[in-house]
Amino acid sequence: MDAIVSIRDVTKDFHLGETVVQALRGVTLTVQKGEFLSIAGPSGSGKTTLLNLIGCVDTATTGVVEVAGRNTASLSERALTNLRLNTIGFIFQSFNLVSVLNVFQNVEFPLLLQNKLTAGERKKRVVSLLEQVGLHTHMKHRPNELSGGQRQRVAIARALVTEPLIVLADEPTANLDSATGEAIIDLMKALNQTRGTTFIFSTHDHKVMRHANAVVRLADGKVLGRETPAEAAAHALGQEPAKEARAS
Amino acid sequence: MIDRLALLVRIAARNLLASPINLLIGGLLFAGTLIFVVVGGLLDSVNQAMARSVVGSLAGHVQIYSAKSKDELALFGQMGGDPELAAMTEFPKLKAALEKIPNVQAVVPMGLSGALITSGNVVDRTLESLRGLYRAKSGERKDPELAALSPEELELRIESEKAHVRQIIKVLRGDVEKASKDLLDARAVDPENVAALERVSSPAFWDGFDADPYGSLEFLENRIAPQVTDASLLFLRYVGTDLDAFQQSFDRMRIVKGEPVPKGHRGFLVADLFYEEQMKLKTARRLDKIKDALALGRKIATDDELKRYVKENRTQTRDIVLQLDGLKTRQAVEALQPFLNSAEDDLELLLQKLFSTTDENFAARYEFFYAKLAPLLQLYRVRLGDTLTIKAFTRTGYIQNVNVKVYGTFAFTGLEKSPLAGNTSLMDIMSFRDLYGYLTSDKAAELKELQQETGAKAVSREDAEAALFGEETGDVVAEATPGLIDVDAQLTGTGRKLHQEDLARRVYSQEEIDSGVVLNAAVMLKDARLLDATLAEINRVGEAEHLEIRAVSWQKASGLLGQIIGVFRVLLFVGVAIIFFIAMVIINNAMMMATIHRTQTIGTMRAIGAQRSLVLAMVLVESVVLGLVFGGLGMAGGAAVLAAIAATGIPAPNDVMYFFFSGPRLVPAVTVTPLVIAQVLVLFVTVASTLFPAWVATRISPLRAMQAED
Repeated sequence: MDAIVSIRDVTKDFHLGETVVQALRGVTLTVQKGEFLSIAGPSGSGKTTLLNLIGCVDTATTGVVEVAGRNTASLSERALTNLRLNTIGFIFQSFNLVSVLNVFQNVEFPLLLQNKLTAGERKKRVVSLLEQVGLHTHMKHRPNELSGGQRQRVAIARALVTEPLIVLADEPTANLDSATGEAIIDLMKALNQTRGTTFIFSTHDHKVMRHANAVVRLADGKVLGRETPAEAAAHALGQEPAKEARAS
Repeated sequence: MIDRLALLVRIAARNLLASPINLLIGGLLFAGTLIFVVVGGLLDSVNQAMARSVVGSLAGHVQIYSAKSKDELALFGQMGGDPELAAMTEFPKLKAALEKIPNVQAVVPMGLSGALITSGNVVDRTLESLRGLYRAKSGERKDPELAALSPEELELRIESEKAHVRQIIKVLRGDVEKASKDLLDARAVDPENVAALERVSSPAFWDGFDADPYGSLEFLENRIAPQVTDASLLFLRYVGTDLDAFQQSFDRMRIVKGEPVPKGHRGFLVADLFYEEQMKLKTARRLDKIKDALALGRKIATDDELKRYVKENRTQTRDIVLQLDGLKTRQAVEALQPFLNSAEDDLELLLQKLFSTTDENFAARYEFFYAKLAPLLQLYRVRLGDTLTIKAFTRTGYIQNVNVKVYGTFAFTGLEKSPLAGNTSLMDIMSFRDLYGYLTSDKAAELKELQQETGAKAVSREDAEAALFGEETGDVVAEATPGLIDVDAQLTGTGRKLHQEDLARRVYSQEEIDSGVVLNAAVMLKDARLLDATLAEINRVGEAEHLEIRAVSWQKASGLLGQIIGVFRVLLFVGVAIIFFIAMVIINNAMMMATIHRTQTIGTMRAIGAQRSLVLAMVLVESVVLGLVFGGLGMAGGAAVLAAIAATGIPAPNDVMYFFFSGPRLVPAVTVTPLVIAQVLVLFVTVASTLFPAWVATRISPLRAMQAED
């Protein structure tokens, strides 16, 4: 399998006045194309920071971050934006839909930014995606007319509409009840399998981790190891892991 | 691209109603635009109306004056009197040159000046008439009118005039007694005047009158006439002009009373408002004003100004009593007694009763006054057909007299009540040249005649020494100093009268009218919209033909008045600038708040691939949509308000405003230009005040998308 994300020896420091907070301390991680990877760890462990680096919305203090074969440190702000637009889809914890646009328009938005397809092609693709997430009957609804789960489905459709190589999801189920959360993860997994899109999502919910191919566990800004969901679940329950972590 | 713009507009339109802040900004823009359109529209209308007033009443579109002038032209006066203008001596050349310019319709010569005129004192007039009657009686004077009277009729007229003088004396004694009651005024009463009044009031004076009529008359002239102060000096502003050309060019001008000055004649036309305000009997004028006010719905019972007029009419009957001689007094009393149902035979008391007008009886009394009393009175100090003696200082500083016949009064349509337009009278340009001290063709001819008769040589100052003491200087050229020969002073008696009649009868050719000195000239244009271009062309022609002229627009020529227009404009701009500055501050703040409020949305857009330029465009499009929607509503609202105002018009609150409104009502026009300006201004304001918030929005990091919403 080809590596879609390659992170080597990355640190990320935040300056809070005089003090320097080290959010990541020498992280090395490779994500293969088509993976359904979970990044786990307690709050403050560096999950979101790591996702931000992979998502090209932030850059590393030291080390190398390569996304789709491109070293993000060497790219301009404008090029990074283009990289995000064409390569990465985002799913946010708070859904982050544009409240004044309806479901269809929210999903269509990245396509308009890309400016590659005709109106007809855009419509076809948006409708098809909304059918896949089960919301083709709600196209004219505004976000505030939808439930949390429905909103996250819209967000998933939006993340996938540009057919990105990677979809990043930061705690996608944190604002949802567990049943809805699981349904969302199931949907993501299904899309991962049918479309081959790489999914990287952060979570601290072991029920959610269970669906992943692999779990990368973080603590204090360091990768503790790459585990199977079962190992990760055991960790989460406070038991010794069955095997040594396999950091890659 | 269009799809993206459509999306941004859609976002903007949705945000417009989503945020209460936007509604606040929108309200502000709506109010600002509405005020701008309404106030700006009204000011524009005032400006246009005033332009019509200025252009149509005196200035024309362009004014020309000599480039050698010390001051700038100010048609409606300036601080410190009339401007000092140099004379333009080559008017025909100027006229010919300017009339070649395609957009020039007419060039009207002018000279603006002011003079004092006196209207005779009623005692002087009465005594003069009495003297004439005595002369006729003694056969000294062969006045055709008086010669036709029989000795009995002559005697009756003498007695009537004597009764008139005695009535005047009675009034004067009343004044003195009234003054004596007040200690302060008593000191101001001259004892010699009191003694003189005592003497002429005594029956002995009148018993002995016929024994020495001329001696008695002299005493009255020397001691009594000066005590009557009804004669007053009037300051008359006038324009000397080619009256014919003036009437043709200023088509709003119309004759109100009398007739126009016949073509080519000397003559004077009094501004009708001036004639009414300054020359009419005060009591009659006040009655007119009350009548006008009642017609407008005002009431004597409740209106302080009208109450004051009634009171003044009641207490100031003196002017009427002084005017009436014995016969007329009797006629007046006989008319008043049955009308007022009174047995009173004192005229003053009857008049007081007549003028105690109320809302109920005013109409009948007004009608009675004009039907019965007015025919006995001289209603105007100067009557149409009278010859007016105008005295003015010439430019060299001595006093010059001109006698000129008053043919009528005139007004400019719509400006009948405006003091600014109704204050300047019109005089033929020949008289003006005489009065102003320039050599006219008449005077030049007389001068030549006198020189031939006397063999005198006119010698210029520079050559005087040589001419008087030495060598031949060749032919002496007549260089008349203005006022060198005062025809009126040289000719006396019948000769003078004949000379004046000759002048009054004389018809001047257009060439004579044109050739001579003028101070300024009004240029009427065919298309007023081309004013600036034509002005430039006039100046160019002036330079090319060495005319040494300055050409200015009507606005500049109107002096202080033109500055008032400027002040209005500055006030509007300052007002609008303040409104929009406040709007900009508020919009800026509101947009900052809106941007902060939408940090996560903008961060999300950035995260999913929106460039900074799109964020910038989004905020700007939003402000443009805001400006277009609410500015457009304000514009429509403003236009609607203006249209509503235009339906009835704004009545001029006072006479001065007649000039600014160019008539009794201001009817604002709704035109496209101010609406477009308002919209552009609103867009400028919204976009300018959004630039900083928009820049701040572009700085929002996509990282903000990752942060959980508050």
